Amino acid sequence: MLKEIYDYRELLKTNVKKDIRGRYKASVLGVLWSFINPLLQVLVYAIVFPYLMKGAADHYVVYLVTGIIPWTFFQSVVNESTTCIKANSGIIKKVYFPRIILPLSAFFSGLINFFISCVIIIVFCIIFGMGISWHLVFVPIIAVTEGLFGLALGTIFGAVDAYIQDTEYIVNFILMMAMYGAPVIYEITIFPEGSRIGTLIQMNPMTKIMNAYRDVFMNHVIPDMGAIGLVFAGSFVLFLIAVTIFNRLQKGFAEQF
Amino acid sequence: MNRDNAIEVRNLTKEFRVNHDGAKTLKEFLVRHHTKAQRHVVLKDINLDIKKGETVGLIGVNGSGKSTLLKLMTKIIYPTQGTVETNGRLTSLLELGAGFHPDFTGRENIYFNASIFGMTRKQIDARVDDIIAFSELGDAIDEPIRTYSSGMYMRLAFSVAINVDADILLIDEILAVGDQHFQDKCYDKLLELKNSGKTIVIVSHALDQVRKLCNRAVWIYKGTLRLDGDPAYVIEAYKKQSAIDHKEEKKAAVEKGTDEYKGVVFIDSPADYSKAATGQQIMINGWRIADSDDFVFSIEVNGRRLDDITPVDRPDVASVYEDEYAGYVEDRKLGFSAAFIPEKPGEYQIRAQIAAGGKMIADKQITVTVE
Repeated sequence: MLKEIYDYRELLKTNVKKDIRGRYKASVLGVLWSFINPLLQVLVYAIVFPYLMKGAADHYVVYLVTGIIPWTFFQSVVNESTTCIKANSGIIKKVYFPRIILPLSAFFSGLINFFISCVIIIVFCIIFGMGISWHLVFVPIIAVTEGLFGLALGTIFGAVDAYIQDTEYIVNFILMMAMYGAPVIYEITIFPEGSRIGTLIQMNPMTKIMNAYRDVFMNHVIPDMGAIGLVFAGSFVLFLIAVTIFNRLQKGFAEQF
Repeated sequence: MNRDNAIEVRNLTKEFRVNHDGAKTLKEFLVRHHTKAQRHVVLKDINLDIKKGETVGLIGVNGSGKSTLLKLMTKIIYPTQGTVETNGRLTSLLELGAGFHPDFTGRENIYFNASIFGMTRKQIDARVDDIIAFSELGDAIDEPIRTYSSGMYMRLAFSVAINVDADILLIDEILAVGDQHFQDKCYDKLLELKNSGKTIVIVSHALDQVRKLCNRAVWIYKGTLRLDGDPAYVIEAYKKQSAIDHKEEKKAAVEKGTDEYKGVVFIDSPADYSKAATGQQIMINGWRIADSDDFVFSIEVNGRRLDDITPVDRPDVASVYEDEYAGYVEDRKLGFSAAFIPEKPGEYQIRAQIAAGGKMIADKQITVTVE
């Protein structure tokens, strides 16, 4: 299977290219939209949340930016790979190619988009006086781990979605839950130490990811590599399982549409 | 598998679930297991070897399973039982313009499209000039394809498809692209590929093309392999069977009231509103065709029926209608010829009509002025 993916590497490349450059090509602002969307989200939370939460974090805006942009990356990888099979049903019915290319394309285009978005995070860090440090070298490691986790989930969801289209709506809900279940827009410290919900949130893999980003961008310390390694290993195993499920289900894709 | 074979199909059976569409939501998915799904056998116990370098035409009526067989060969769908094995790089041209993005230029889209067929950047680079030349798009190749006419779009799509480098080419009914000039070009290109030793499998309704291009024809009839051999022989048998089936279906449909007989009648000469001289014989020439065995054809001049109608051979008409009126064309004289002499000046209404099952199904009327 690896050889086949290698043979079809040009398809993977053109898919990613189409995804990144093609999505906003007809709009006036073009690719800028992929940055404007998370920024607007940041703006909304930055205005509303300090009122809801007493004593919002210091540098709350930077805290938001370093949370929402990585979260958007995760969300887009999961969402895109969940819907990619159905969205490409036209070609799936007509042309043979390794179907796994589709979720892989979602992973790579999400990853590249995120790396570009990192420029925004850095700009915010500088403007709000946090500065930057050499710890940025950890960003690719964290991002690949996060992306792999999203890809593993999305690959399973995508294969199932071809058969049961309720999947994508359920996934939407799970993603929303998961966002509030990780310190994306709030700080973990708002929950008392040892409380049940606090413990649950600590167990969310995305919490480890979010903490690692904050360490790198805001705290300028080496992130907890043990935690990241654990998430990576878990995601990798999950991805292998996902590929097995995907391969089993992909034989029927063309007959589902 | 045998090394001389490009494709080996063994004991292949393919079933589709009949009540398939609809079972798309969780609720229906859960319910579906309680009701036993009906299964429809599309292909039954097919065995087929296609040797390297052969050009094979798959023929059969719509719904016979020939396109399904082609899809199984490409691994788009998988057999319920049996196996399909292929040997060599396989490209299926079942879809033209797969992966095209309207906002990118023709050139960029060549890369998108060719990459779906599994070509690498290097391979596409080596062929891109050929592809552009073949498409005859000229400078338009660097314009976004949303600005293309549908003809230009199809030409580009086909140029990529036909220039994809593969050992085995599977083609489904795509020779009908563009104008006559472009079709001829595509046909020549296929001949070139055939002569260069590629294995080609074509699904087509254009029997003439199959006869000319293929050195073997395989006839799929109601999901089974009916006949396999020299194209001329297989096509002849296929046409005979379709004629019989077509007739039976039509008859049954008319009896059930779901269909009606239809026909066409045409008068070649004299021309409408032409002039003629009194006392001089006027020849009426034309042709008629109907999908009934016992239709009544008549010609009237000013309401008076002409008795003497001579049947005439019209192979030109027969070739046009051999698909639509299969079973009512072969070995039949479709043309007619009749004559009358206008005895006094005035307007003459010539009316030709076909009646079947007590109903008029086609007519044609022209007027001739006699001076």
